[in-house]
Amino acid sequence: MSNTKTAIAAHGLYKRFKTGRTHIEVLKRVDFDALHGDVTMVMGPSGSGKSTLVAALSGLLKPDDGHVTGMGQDLWALKSSKLDRFRLDHCGFIFQGFNLFAALTALQQVEIILKYKGLPKRQAREKAVQALTEVGLESKLGQRPSELSGGEKQRVAIARALAKDPQLIFADEPTSALDGENGQVVIKLLHRAAKQHGAAVICVTHDPRLETYADRVIHLEDGRILDDRRTEHAANVSGAAHFQPALIGA
Amino acid sequence: MSLALATLLYEWRRYSAAMVALAVAGLLILAQVGMFTGIVKGVTATLDRSRADIIVMPPKMESLINSGGGSLPARLQPQMYMHPEVAEVAAWDIEGGRWVNHPKDGKKAVTTYVDVNLVDTRPGAVTLPTDFTEETRRALMEPYAVAIDESQLKRLGVKLGDDASLNGKTVRVRAILTGYPNINNASITVSRDTLRLLGMVQKNGKTGPLMLRLRDPARAEVVREQLNKSSKNAYRAWTRAELAEANQGALMKEQIIGLFITATVIIGAFIGVAITSMTLRGAILSSIKEFASLRALGVPMNALRGIVLELSLWVGVAGFIVTAILTLGVYLLALKGGVPMGFPVFWDIFVAVLLLVIAGLSGLFSIGILKKSQPADLLR
Repeated sequence: MSNTKTAIAAHGLYKRFKTGRTHIEVLKRVDFDALHGDVTMVMGPSGSGKSTLVAALSGLLKPDDGHVTGMGQDLWALKSSKLDRFRLDHCGFIFQGFNLFAALTALQQVEIILKYKGLPKRQAREKAVQALTEVGLESKLGQRPSELSGGEKQRVAIARALAKDPQLIFADEPTSALDGENGQVVIKLLHRAAKQHGAAVICVTHDPRLETYADRVIHLEDGRILDDRRTEHAANVSGAAHFQPALIGA
Repeated sequence: MSLALATLLYEWRRYSAAMVALAVAGLLILAQVGMFTGIVKGVTATLDRSRADIIVMPPKMESLINSGGGSLPARLQPQMYMHPEVAEVAAWDIEGGRWVNHPKDGKKAVTTYVDVNLVDTRPGAVTLPTDFTEETRRALMEPYAVAIDESQLKRLGVKLGDDASLNGKTVRVRAILTGYPNINNASITVSRDTLRLLGMVQKNGKTGPLMLRLRDPARAEVVREQLNKSSKNAYRAWTRAELAEANQGALMKEQIIGLFITATVIIGAFIGVAITSMTLRGAILSSIKEFASLRALGVPMNALRGIVLELSLWVGVAGFIVTAILTLGVYLLALKGGVPMGFPVFWDIFVAVLLLVIAGLSGLFSIGILKKSQPADLLR
């Protein structure tokens, strides 16, 4: 693993959208970085540019200007096939919706991604079982989304995102569709991904409950970063937290 | 199990419109082929179920369809015995005659053309179909006795024991057959002696095609080859299976039937592609977020296209299975109604390939919808 703790860094991100005859500037030259082993929370009101920031950071939406360096690679200089590969190798996503295929069992949802990553069948299965066990779904491997609760579905989505050991995890309002208890479970899982697997977790949220688990909170408003602070909680745990990012899946 | 197959199995209702469209296209073709093949099978039933291993026909005849049996020099019949493996030779033919029933109570008489099939009534004769009962065989030994399939009684206006005229001579219905329907011409079966009494046996040194029984039926192809080598272009020998196949093929080459089937293929393909591609597009659109999440996680677009194509091919396979079930249903209905049908392997394969091509094309046409799977849209 890299010596530096920076997993992803962005400089001068600028993005505007056309609406009718006018342009709306959504990101106004934002600088951003996130560290391995940190849970970085991006907060802000609707329309502040949070989602656009995450999309630009994760290689899903090309900014009009600026650079993103993730895992040592200049993301937006990559060809689209290389960018796909980058996401396959390094990125995990957790969305507000669970986006699970209705026809697949929990195990298959996770396996399919590992298969595309190029893992042999047996290894993909073992790893999928391991990931689902980690999120507490070892008894629901054969169940389809229709047989799972909202919280369980989100845990499947998390297992799917985490199974390939990503070093960058992007979560967009991961708890907004969940009740308090399931929300807590999801937050803890994201926290664990950062602390045990050394991933950089970047989480867009409105949910103040998540702040307790954040190492760093960034407030975004009107396309600019207003405030960027490390939490006290981070100060307490970060020393122990940044130990070995290489422990992935161990 | 792949994502495509799992999706089709789990959400089959969503794809049922496409499967039914494909199945109807397949059924339209197979039902027509089945009916036309059935006509041939009806015409040649006594040949197909005879004990003949080899049939000898005039050299230039390609089948029995639309050309009858033709005639051969009678001297060929003893000549066939010169081959050491030939056990029995008999002249055979399908003749035609005018049938008039003898109606009672002032009803209108039925006047129609009938195919007249010839059998020998000696036990185990090469021309005697293997499924004729002993009673039928004995009944046909009586002069002027005819046997008629149960499905043809109404059409010919007779029942067991009735009299009728054949080419002006009185014949009597002495036996009822099952399994000899014929939807083209009505057909009756008589013994060689009756045929002679009716004046329908070929004369002047001519015979109809020859049926040959071999000592070892397994050697039919070898003996056929040897007979043809020494034929000096006076005849051509066929194995029974070859001739049956040629008969079926001959009908399909008829222009009007070819037109029917070509039109059905085009219409079926058009409707199939239209409905299947729309169904696929709808189904993909309904899962577009799931596809987008795969894109986000790094699965390349080409892999998603592969999933859609695989899905479309599975829909084609499912469509063929439904076709098979529907066709079986039609076949059973036809069987009940006494209409023979046949489904040559060539046409079964043709329909299977056609349905896969239709489904594959539909998949190609619906691939474009995947462009809507923008993972950035999932972030909001």
